[in-house]
Amino acid sequence: MTGGWPAFCRDLLEQFPLIFTGLVQTLRLTAIISLTGLLGGIVVLYLTLSRSPIVRRLTQAYISFFIGMPLIVLLFLLYYGLPQWGIRLSPFVVAVVGFTLNVAAYNAAYLTSAYNGLEQTELEAGRAQGFSHRQVFALLTLPQVLRMSVPALTNQVILNLKDSTLAFLIQYTEFFARIQELASTNFQFFKAYALAALVYLLLVSAIVLAARAVEKRVIIPGLLG
Amino acid sequence: MSPVPLIQVRELVKDFDGQRVLAGVNLDIMEGGIKVVMGPSGCGKSTLLRCLNRLVEPTSGTIHLRGQLVTGAGVDVRALRQGIGFVFQQFALYRHLTVLDNVSLALRKLRGMRRLEAEQKAMYELARLDMAAHRDKYPGQISGGQKQRVALARALAMDPAVVVMDEPTSALDPLLTREVAQLIQRLHGEKVTLLCVTHDVLLARSITEQVVFLDRGVVRAEGSIEHLSSAHPDALIRDFFGRESGA
Ligand SMILES: Nc1ncnc2c1ncn2[C@@H]1O[C@H](COP(=O)(O)OP(=O)(O)O)[C@@H](O)[C@H]1O
Ligand SMILES: [Mg+2]
Repeated sequence: MTGGWPAFCRDLLEQFPLIFTGLVQTLRLTAIISLTGLLGGIVVLYLTLSRSPIVRRLTQAYISFFIGMPLIVLLFLLYYGLPQWGIRLSPFVVAVVGFTLNVAAYNAAYLTSAYNGLEQTELEAGRAQGFSHRQVFALLTLPQVLRMSVPALTNQVILNLKDSTLAFLIQYTEFFARIQELASTNFQFFKAYALAALVYLLLVSAIVLAARAVEKRVIIPGLLG
Repeated sequence: MSPVPLIQVRELVKDFDGQRVLAGVNLDIMEGGIKVVMGPSGCGKSTLLRCLNRLVEPTSGTIHLRGQLVTGAGVDVRALRQGIGFVFQQFALYRHLTVLDNVSLALRKLRGMRRLEAEQKAMYELARLDMAAHRDKYPGQISGGQKQRVALARALAMDPAVVVMDEPTSALDPLLTREVAQLIQRLHGEKVTLLCVTHDVLLARSITEQVVFLDRGVVRAEGSIEHLSSAHPDALIRDFFGRESGA
């Protein structure tokens, strides 16, 4: 257990380019699904506030369905299930689509609960000034809801990073897949996984720091959080 | 021979889930005039105001603005609303925007003004209400009275046909009542058409002698507070106006 350092270091150096590419894949996936998940969440929030009861009903169903469905099941359904219907998607596309559907649902739920904390008369004041439904959303609702949701939304980014390891199970060779390969070449499992843990920890810390900076910038003066 | 009122409300009825809140209100507001509508809590004052800009859809009856029918289908509701400056009871400032942006937002987004032009107009309105120095503050950083002035500036910036105020003193320290009345009178002096609803007799008295009394959804009386408090045949009305008017 304590030995094996020379072999581990040699393999690590040897496989470093691959591990690094894996890390880039992880960051790429995390960044993309964080962005598409946020945009998706905003769209879903907008639909939640639709004046059409049917649209509202469908949006609610969307949110409950994807929050209730384990991500891994969704990913397997898209990656291993769809080919039986003749639809073959690359691991990357499946990961982006699957994660986006899931993350957008979560983000929409956070944004909706922030929306419920808004002062409704402010939105009514917007309507009274003559703003359209869409303008009220874009100018009044969204800026406030996003600000209030920074903690929840950054938590979701952290979850995205951690959950991106699931993509490994649909053949998307990201960081953890490469670590897995490293471990299986020299059987130094503890060292390999400890390294992975350390890297994820550092990445999460970076996200937390970035989130704090964002939060400081978007805080509304005079409002007690 | 008599001039056409700026706003003409006729037989306005509003039912909420079968409950009749407005039961045939008639009301005229003259251009440049000031109208104070009084009545106990829950008598339908806010509902009446909300019907004017169709935040609430009337059940029946008509409203004309400058001779044009604004109730019913086919009316450009957003254009109508831009012409009515609404000051809410709690002022309802946009809390994520500075004072200046609160006032200039609609000028930019609805009137299509460029930022510079919109801000100049906004600053003019803020200066008019002694709020220019607070332009960069957020609503959470100013007092209730100041919020009200910003809300008024926001309404005035759109050059509305009428400024509507819902209970302008209810969210403020009672000590400010006279100040609010002075502010309203000053705007009246500047030819702003005003409609103000309140249950505050002291405020009404400090604004104007002539009031309209709304109760159970209809205009029950109209006249000077003096007369309504002493000589009106209905004891309830005498009581209502007698409460604080002796002070
Ligand atoms: N949106 C609404 N839905 C149902 N009832 C309402 C609504 N708005 C007002 N009401 C009812 O109408 C009555 C008059 O309310 P309101 O116009 O706010 O009175 P006021 O402003 O004079 O206090 C109240 O009984 C109130 O409960
Ligand atoms: Mg009211």
